[in-house]
Amino acid sequence: MSALKRPSILVPLIALVLFILVPIAVPDSQYEQSVILWCFLFAIMASGWNLISGLAGYVSLGHSVYLGIGMYTGGILAKAWGVDSIYLMPLGAIVAGLVALVIGAVVLRTRSHSFVIITIAVLLSFLLLAANLKWLTGGSDGLIVKQPSWAKELGNTPYYYVLLGLLVLTIALCAFVMRSRLGAGLVAIRNDEGKAASIGINTTVYKVTAYTLSALPFGAAGAVWGQYLGFVNPIGAFAILASVYLVLAALMGGRGTLWGPVIGGFLVALFQEFSTRWSGGVSSRVLIMGVILILVVMFMPSGLLPTIKKAVERRRTRGSAVKFIDQASIAASTSVVDTSAIAARDQGKAHQGDTILEVRNLVKTFGGVTAVDNVSMTVQRGTITGLIGPNGSGKTTLFNCMTGTYQPTSGEVLLSGEDITRAKIWTRAHDGLGRTFQITRLFKSMTVLDNLVAPLERTSAAEMVAGRYAGDEVDRAREILAFMGLQEFEKQNAAALSFGQQKLVELAQVLMLRPSIILLDEPASGINPTLIDKLATVIRRLNEAGTTVLIVEHNIPLVLSLCDHIHVLAEGKILTQGTPTEIRNDPNVIEAYLGPDHLLEAPHA
Amino acid sequence: MEIVQVLALGILMGGVYALLASGVTLIFGVLDVVNVAQGSFLVFSALFTWQIWDLFGIEPLLLIPVMALVMGAMGWLIYRGMVVRVTPQGPGMTVLLMFGVALALEGLLNLIFGNKYKSVTPAYFTESLNIGDLVLPLPQLISGVVGALVLVAIYLYLRFSWAGRALRASAQNPDGAALVGISSLKSSALAFAIGAMTAGVGGVLLAIMYPIYPATQYDWIARLLGIVVLGGFGSIPGAVIGAMILGVSEALAAAYVPEWSALFFYGVILLILLFRPNGLMGQRTREDVAA
Repeated sequence: MSALKRPSILVPLIALVLFILVPIAVPDSQYEQSVILWCFLFAIMASGWNLISGLAGYVSLGHSVYLGIGMYTGGILAKAWGVDSIYLMPLGAIVAGLVALVIGAVVLRTRSHSFVIITIAVLLSFLLLAANLKWLTGGSDGLIVKQPSWAKELGNTPYYYVLLGLLVLTIALCAFVMRSRLGAGLVAIRNDEGKAASIGINTTVYKVTAYTLSALPFGAAGAVWGQYLGFVNPIGAFAILASVYLVLAALMGGRGTLWGPVIGGFLVALFQEFSTRWSGGVSSRVLIMGVILILVVMFMPSGLLPTIKKAVERRRTRGSAVKFIDQASIAASTSVVDTSAIAARDQGKAHQGDTILEVRNLVKTFGGVTAVDNVSMTVQRGTITGLIGPNGSGKTTLFNCMTGTYQPTSGEVLLSGEDITRAKIWTRAHDGLGRTFQITRLFKSMTVLDNLVAPLERTSAAEMVAGRYAGDEVDRAREILAFMGLQEFEKQNAAALSFGQQKLVELAQVLMLRPSIILLDEPASGINPTLIDKLATVIRRLNEAGTTVLIVEHNIPLVLSLCDHIHVLAEGKILTQGTPTEIRNDPNVIEAYLGPDHLLEAPHA
Repeated sequence: MEIVQVLALGILMGGVYALLASGVTLIFGVLDVVNVAQGSFLVFSALFTWQIWDLFGIEPLLLIPVMALVMGAMGWLIYRGMVVRVTPQGPGMTVLLMFGVALALEGLLNLIFGNKYKSVTPAYFTESLNIGDLVLPLPQLISGVVGALVLVAIYLYLRFSWAGRALRASAQNPDGAALVGISSLKSSALAFAIGAMTAGVGGVLLAIMYPIYPATQYDWIARLLGIVVLGGFGSIPGAVIGAMILGVSEALAAAYVPEWSALFFYGVILLILLFRPNGLMGQRTREDVAA
């Protein structure tokens, strides 16, 4: 029973027991229970909100819309069927979830600011719908929700236990999501959505799933809350203030943490209750809540829990020396490991010579500028192929069309013979195309190991609910880190690494996808010569293990020494192609780089 | 003929919306901050206009420069005192900060003015200008025209003055602007002040058109943000187009399907965003280099 001794388990358990005891131990506690009910509601809402806004970073300012939907679902059906609204909790959750699924699929197409605002617009739209659909909702007057069928003496106690149970369920749901691949993917999306897509995370499915899940507790709570209040009206059900307060709750406690929103929910509910009771009404309550929101944002933006945690950690680590990280030892690491960890997925069927990646007649224009002008090129399976060209020759644009960052104006991109021109970025990753970025885009708030287990080889429900460290991923991640000589950094935050180390980690991350082909975007830029040598070794070893590599690079000596085949791009067109020796001696290439007069200016070159 | 009347009223209202939404979009363009407090600034200005008019009987339109200065100063203070400290934490947090400001202002106004409607009713409040069959109520006409004029003045200022160019430079590339000697702190404070100024002017115009009370700020948050999302964040022409769409669609809906007027606008926004997630005039930024 050592788990019981951990404060993260022990404290909530004690709290739960105390809450269960309140109605039993304190008989005449209807008022106290009503205040705690209010706390439960806010804790439930803040935890639900945390799933989409805390984990994925999509701040919703209209999330109480799903509470309102639950209230109306319960109220309307209770009237129609003559049952207690409280029993319709599951239906409230289902209806809220379905609405969220539809709305999420639309609004999650927008990013940060627009998303915030659209969530407000959605809330207001439902307010208007409820006021106008008189036949269904009773219009602005609202509808009376049937009194509970249990004995009057029980008072609020049944609501109390039901909401307590719902709170426990909600926390369990959040804990489950946070430990799953889904949770890891959502945090990756919060860190860098484009990058998340490039390592195979289907960002659309992930975001919509999180948004839908986040609505479930709201809908269930709504069916209870409507009956507790005894009536449902549009202004009460779809209040923007409730949405803002629940955001304040999550913020105050700590977004993205499991217990932060719960603690924040209690605090915000209590603040509201006391400011209404002791300072004379709603006006001063709005003022006080506004000031609290300003203070939290300005002085405690990460929330109570993370702030306390940081302070404790600082105290604990005070005085202990920071470990010196030896660059040279990474570079010199011998990296003798079983190559199965780095083997490409289709190594078995790999036969030298057939085409793995092909670009046909590709054109990409920006306004009046034609960056890539009718380019056709192929990359042969099993090779290390280089793509070089002077600045502005269209390399990066071509690269971006292959990886899906850009949609070409016309032309096709084929991966192993399949047309992927319009394929989603994550689909390309699933199909075996991996990429790195010129300026590394690791998930900075995550550890190196978490960065490595984040990539996904497919999108499936089983994959999403699997534990973050389930399966053999962690073992493979460690093997790959060892192969790179980076095993020491496993537990470091990615942000703590040097730029060159980050480049290696990013490559390691892509390897987790078992790509058949890796596209490297200027891998050697901005890193020191020792690490460049290390990188060259890594690339050669990868290639020996069956991975095809396409490098876009300015470091010509590196390209000439590494590549089997080189394409030279100039002014948006393929200038020439061939083996390193052919390219080295091609006067056209020299001219493209240095201009036509170079011979006159540098006679002894 | 009725349709012309409806359209004319819609366009006049669109002029006021355009001014206010430009303030929001300008602040966004330069600072990346969604100013959800614009509605509360607006109500603040309107209620103080009412107070001064009620006490001294001054012609409210004369208060336009006064309220513009007052709100500009308030915007500047809010920026230097709060926003600048929160911007490093990203747009989500600044939205919440501005929401806190909006709530605090609303609560404050509630305590000062009470939760009752206040109307400014100068002599011309009920008069109108008749052109043929067209009946244009004077408050609406004045507001639409003044709103449009102030907006044009701001646009010309941004376009042709040195400070305006500096401001646009900061909006496009703050680091680059800093390298050529433009203080992004100063430009940002200026942008925030101008944005708040539009609410100062708009508040006076609002006061002569409609009764106001503190909680009406929510209607304005919704409208202004809707316009800005529709037009594309950071684009002043986009804000003008969005404002005209809202003005006209509200007028049309109010004339033909009164209960659904606001919902109609949100429907339009959702539809447009479905096809253009960045709004009508919004631009997609290059992602690969914006690390």
